[in-house]
Amino acid sequence: MLSLIFFSICLIIAYLGISLFIKMQRLKELANRVAALTNSLEEMDEQAKLIMRTDMELNKAQEELSKKIAGLNTLQELSREMNATLEEKQIFQKINTKHLEDLGFEKALAFLWKNPEKEFQLCLSIGYSQTESTKIRSTINTDRNFYLDLISHDQTASSIFIPEGFISKNKICELFLVRAFIICPVLTQEGDQGFIFTGTQDSQVSITEGDSELIALLGNQIGQTLDNARLFEKTWKSQQALEIKVEERTRQLTQAINELMKISKHKSDFISSVSHELRTPLTSIKGYAAILLTGKLGAMPDEIKERLEKINRHSDELVHMVNDLLDISRIESGKANMKAETLELAPVVDKIADLLAEQFKDKNISFKSAIPDDCRKVLADRSQLERVFINLAGNAIKFTPEKGAISISARRLDNKTIQIDVSDTGFGIPKDAQESIFEEFFRVDNIINQEVKGTGLGLALVKNIIQAHKGKIWVKSSLGEGATFSFTLAAGE
Amino acid sequence: MNIGMGFSESGDQIQAVNDAITQAIVGLGNLQASMAFIFTTTEFANPLVLKTANNLLEGTPILGCSSLGLITNQGIFKHGIAVLLINLDQQVFFNTALIKNINENNPLDNGKELGEKLLYGCKNVHRSLSIIFLDGLTAQTAGIINGLQEKLGRSFPLIGASASDNLTFQKTYQYFNNEVSSQSCCGVLFGGKFHFGIGIKHGWNPLGKMRYVTKSSGNIIQEVDHQPAVKLYEDYLAKDTLELFKELQRISIFYPLGVYLEGENEYLLRNITSIKDDGSLVTQGEVPENSKIRLMISTKDSCLAAATAACQEAKRNLGLQKTKFLMVFDSASRFSLLDKQRAKELAIIKEAFGENIPLIGIYTYGEQAPLNSINYLGQSYFHNQSISVLAVGDQ
Repeated sequence: MLSLIFFSICLIIAYLGISLFIKMQRLKELANRVAALTNSLEEMDEQAKLIMRTDMELNKAQEELSKKIAGLNTLQELSREMNATLEEKQIFQKINTKHLEDLGFEKALAFLWKNPEKEFQLCLSIGYSQTESTKIRSTINTDRNFYLDLISHDQTASSIFIPEGFISKNKICELFLVRAFIICPVLTQEGDQGFIFTGTQDSQVSITEGDSELIALLGNQIGQTLDNARLFEKTWKSQQALEIKVEERTRQLTQAINELMKISKHKSDFISSVSHELRTPLTSIKGYAAILLTGKLGAMPDEIKERLEKINRHSDELVHMVNDLLDISRIESGKANMKAETLELAPVVDKIADLLAEQFKDKNISFKSAIPDDCRKVLADRSQLERVFINLAGNAIKFTPEKGAISISARRLDNKTIQIDVSDTGFGIPKDAQESIFEEFFRVDNIINQEVKGTGLGLALVKNIIQAHKGKIWVKSSLGEGATFSFTLAAGE
Repeated sequence: MNIGMGFSESGDQIQAVNDAITQAIVGLGNLQASMAFIFTTTEFANPLVLKTANNLLEGTPILGCSSLGLITNQGIFKHGIAVLLINLDQQVFFNTALIKNINENNPLDNGKELGEKLLYGCKNVHRSLSIIFLDGLTAQTAGIINGLQEKLGRSFPLIGASASDNLTFQKTYQYFNNEVSSQSCCGVLFGGKFHFGIGIKHGWNPLGKMRYVTKSSGNIIQEVDHQPAVKLYEDYLAKDTLELFKELQRISIFYPLGVYLEGENEYLLRNITSIKDDGSLVTQGEVPENSKIRLMISTKDSCLAAATAACQEAKRNLGLQKTKFLMVFDSASRFSLLDKQRAKELAIIKEAFGENIPLIGIYTYGEQAPLNSINYLGQSYFHNQSISVLAVGDQ
């Protein structure tokens, strides 16, 4: 019995021992697991730290990037708006609260240094009352040397960087009532320079180098726009002065032209009245000379008859001259009646050739005309055009030696204009006289003119007729090589 | 219930308040406004503005506060004044109250005082919801809420906003009738047949292992896992205290602390507002000793996803009721974090409730709302970095 009890006790002890061993093993396993879990947790916690640090850097970078993009967009918009302005005063007005907020600020001031007054003047104020901005301006003018130094050294001051010798950060914050700020010079090529201040009361805003760069860009943009505006104003003022000068000169010229026209009218009137006055006694002289020549009043000795014939001939020349003068004055005063009509040019030329045929024959001068099909019709007064041809061709005959040649030709210049040339192989006209020959009473001083008679009115009359037809007349000639008188007329339909 | 809304961003403050109130009055038709909510950006926090509003509204009770930005149906504005006029049915009761000079040493009593004032005359009425606006710079918001809850009930639906300024953290303003005050708290208690749904989400997720607050008092965490609390951030961000201090605001927005609350679905976020010389962390709301905390991380996408979730929650809680208007309290941190994507958040809200839903909202330094608002049994807490959406039903 005792041994049974002993055996049972042994069994129980063995069982308890085994159980304890198993439990111990399990506890050890659990402790290992807990250690492993703790280890994992620690590892995960380390990873969490890594995530958090990375996240913080990423957030910062993203924030800076977003800020920069927003800032650049705002600057682009501002730049566009400023460039559309050419008035200095309006440039600063383009900056508004929204632009400023997009740049990350809610307060801004801009000052330009006015050299004559020796002070900074306020050009922009956002986020400040008038009292506040006046107070700030006054303090800035007291401390002007600091700000002038900043401008002259092209330095930017901000709550993260204060240049050496500049006012302390705290004083600036106190003066401008902000927690963070940027002060940036506004530099120009010429004229007033200044600076722009941007700031914020927001304690969460921290200024970065990127912010300083953006405001520096804004300062540059303002400076450039100021330069543009000033250049424009300068150009505008010069242009205005030029316009005033041109206006004055035009007025003077108009006055001179009017004066000339008045003189010309007086001249025409004078010529006209004198010519009329001359013609009456001339007609009488010519009439009496003609009566005497008929011999009705008695026979006259040959010497007297010869003299009377001279009186008659010279009277004719004088009448011719007076008529030419009258025509010139009529044309000049616009009293001449020009009946412009479409004419066939070739028959007119042929008629002239017929009229002058005897004179061509006398001097053995060949004549030819060339009127192409595209120049058949011109717009002109028939009788006046005939006078032009008679004068030009008559002159040509006078100055062309025997066996010479004269031609009349035409060519089309464009849809509306025809050029007619009257050429000869005569003595030619010296260069220096080519302009003057169209003036009244001008005659080239040469041997031929001394021999050949003329009034010096023919070409003046021709010129007046052509001008009355809104055409032009000119001559091309060299001494000994003949001359070509050219004029233009409107093409007929 | 009928409503009228108005908004103006005119630079002339008096003109702006005139414009905004006139628009709201026109929107309300011939009906008399029962009460008004007025939200402004900081530059409009002027006694003259409130006096003008009070005159124009002929003594209608006014509640509101300042903010760094306004959320309206037309967009998000950094300058302006927004007005909501409400004409309540006879079955809806309300009472407004203001407590001034919030005593930093005794926030619990301040909360109790506000609760008592709000309950005045409403003791035998079925109470529905309380909306409060308080100074966003006070460190004792949690205490005030606790005091208020002692009077209104621990699980009583409470939604509120900590007023903000233009991120200078200098001074915030609360509006009560014709009065502009700071360091104060004003609120309204609705009773009777008043239907609403609340949704609040933040979109931050925990990262790293759970830590324990081994020593804290109020909103100051002295030690985490028996180490100076700042070491938590030093370890995770590999920065020394000085570097952390320099980037405190960024860290506060991006990596707040998440306080684990038993029985709730989400972590309660706490912004770090300061680091003390002894390595203590100062938070915007209180963090009790022995709290389990973790560092939180987020992305813009998860923030936007939280807005969607908050809207869905508010809609779900409103039930079958048609939404009459929305009131949104969105964290100032989210304002900074979302930056250019703020408009997306507004689009999400509009998408959830309809493009033309009347909407008024502000950016806040803290949000008060039930953490788990499925059936309003959840307790209201002081939140950071969250978006809370109050959808009020057509009664």
